[in-house]
Amino acid sequence: MTGGKTEMAVLVPERGTTVLMIGNPNVGKSALFNRITGANAIVSNYPGTTVDFTSGTFIGGGRTYTIIDVPGTYSLDPRDAAEEVAVRMLRDYPDAVVMIVLDATKTDRGLYVALEVMERGMPCIVAVNMMDAAHEKKISLDIAALQRILGVPVVATTATSGEGVRDLADMLRKAKVADIGAIAQRMRGEEPEREPAFTCGGCGGCGGR
Amino acid sequence: MVFSSDARWEMVDEITRQTVTYGTYKQTLGAVLGDLTVKPLTGIPVAVAALYAFWSVFTSFAGELVTDGFMVKFFDGLWLPWFQAIWPDPGSWHYFLFIGNPAADTCFEAFGMLTSGLFVSVGVVLPAVFVFYLMMTLLEDSGYLPRLAVLMDTVLHRIGLHGYAIVPIILGLGCNVPAVTATRILETKKQRFIMMTLLAIFIPCGAQLGIMMSIIPDLIGVVILCLIIGFGIFGFVLNKIIPGENPEILVDVPPYNWPVKEYVIKKLWNRTKGFLKEAVPFVLLGILLVNLLYLGGVIQGLANLFEPVFVTWFGVPKETVGPLIAAFLRKDLAIAQLSIIPMTAYQMVASVVLVTIYFPCVATFVVMLREGWKELIAAIAVLFVVVFIYGGLIHAVGILLGVA
Repeated sequence: MTGGKTEMAVLVPERGTTVLMIGNPNVGKSALFNRITGANAIVSNYPGTTVDFTSGTFIGGGRTYTIIDVPGTYSLDPRDAAEEVAVRMLRDYPDAVVMIVLDATKTDRGLYVALEVMERGMPCIVAVNMMDAAHEKKISLDIAALQRILGVPVVATTATSGEGVRDLADMLRKAKVADIGAIAQRMRGEEPEREPAFTCGGCGGCGGR
Repeated sequence: MVFSSDARWEMVDEITRQTVTYGTYKQTLGAVLGDLTVKPLTGIPVAVAALYAFWSVFTSFAGELVTDGFMVKFFDGLWLPWFQAIWPDPGSWHYFLFIGNPAADTCFEAFGMLTSGLFVSVGVVLPAVFVFYLMMTLLEDSGYLPRLAVLMDTVLHRIGLHGYAIVPIILGLGCNVPAVTATRILETKKQRFIMMTLLAIFIPCGAQLGIMMSIIPDLIGVVILCLIIGFGIFGFVLNKIIPGENPEILVDVPPYNWPVKEYVIKKLWNRTKGFLKEAVPFVLLGILLVNLLYLGGVIQGLANLFEPVFVTWFGVPKETVGPLIAAFLRKDLAIAQLSIIPMTAYQMVASVVLVTIYFPCVATFVVMLREGWKELIAAIAVLFVVVFIYGGLIHAVGILLGVA
């Protein structure tokens, strides 16, 4: 069973204060969730530990966020009942902020569902988790470049040690709707017509704007 | 703007090309071990060793050290005699409810709420469940579970499931409640139904295993064998008769990790707390209910009513009807109750198997209902058929072997 507090169909009190954690199975969503909310969602080292959602609270910057740990999913075309929960949550909370969680050692796999979420026009923030494992495997990630490409805040984290979690939580209020058309254009090598006026190096502080 | 799946993958490739660089690194020990535990030639012996180690720690630490070495001595030597001495009116109804049999020497025989109730839940089952959860947590957090899933895949395909069904099975050996919810990781309705039904019928929970270990240490092997054979036979049959797909296993095998101490402690604490909160009140309530039914003569009546089925068909004494009623609340309690009925070894094995495969406990029942009432009703229909057929089959085998 999921630990912590499981609430069924809670109504969203205020726009932008519900955060859905979406990502592939076993990328450390529950571990990050526990770090941010101090709750007790069950964390294990196998995909599919979370089959139901767990919600918790985080208070930061004068706002109270309801953070919801959602079962992992590889895409928004559900394969099983746990993935259906994820899709249902996105539908039930159309005003939520989505925290997309990626496994730093397998960013490509997680980016697929990330793009699917972005297509829905929901405000997003990306956590690149398991940075310690990536470091061990000698995989290096250009977080600033990723942020520039996606146009939403990207934060590197390691949930097991707590690294980057504070940044991630602070960055919640900077979540933005990704311009999926612009991303596609950039990837085709064309610069989008309306490039933001002052692009910075992407320090992680503002989401590239 | 919505893209096709191909377009998305192209974008993903391009983003990855621009942001990720792969360096060279040496194969770590974890990765080497990872390979060895998935390949059948080396993996199967490792799996057998791991499960054997699991079982040995479970029986020696929980069973022999804590329960037999400490709890039994404490409850039978101090707790029970003290209550028997101070509680007034050995012949009264309240003595019967709370303390039980005034002539009892052990907490199994007494069967009062304060004597057997606390002994069963705290003395026998708690240490078993605690050790079981600790071992299970280590299996989960190390990353061994998905590897076991890959190894078990071929076998589980025979019964309409695939390797990943090992997750609800292992969770179910701890408690069937989270196991029922964990069936959500299976892809099709057919798989989920087969898994849920088999869980409810054939997978004993940690509490049941703990109590079996304590009262029938010599026969527990036979009981488990009966359950495994039944699991295989009825899984095979269900796979044949239930329409639907059984897709191939698609599982991400994570790298081995040292379990993080704080996660292990947190999880162990949550699960043990859950057990204390849900099991202890139900054990006490179960004893109360059964004792009230005895006082009211209901159990004797039911026992007479079901005598033909129990004695002729299953080959067990009619007194086992009482424990079967308690089994709906707590199966560990029911097995404890069986231990005081005088029975032959065959009857003991048969009745313990019956308690296990009979109706799921009330907590499991409730979560199954939450997963879908149609499936629950179908599962219960299957269950009745299975109990009847398998109970008779065990009796037949017993007769053939000359033990029944």
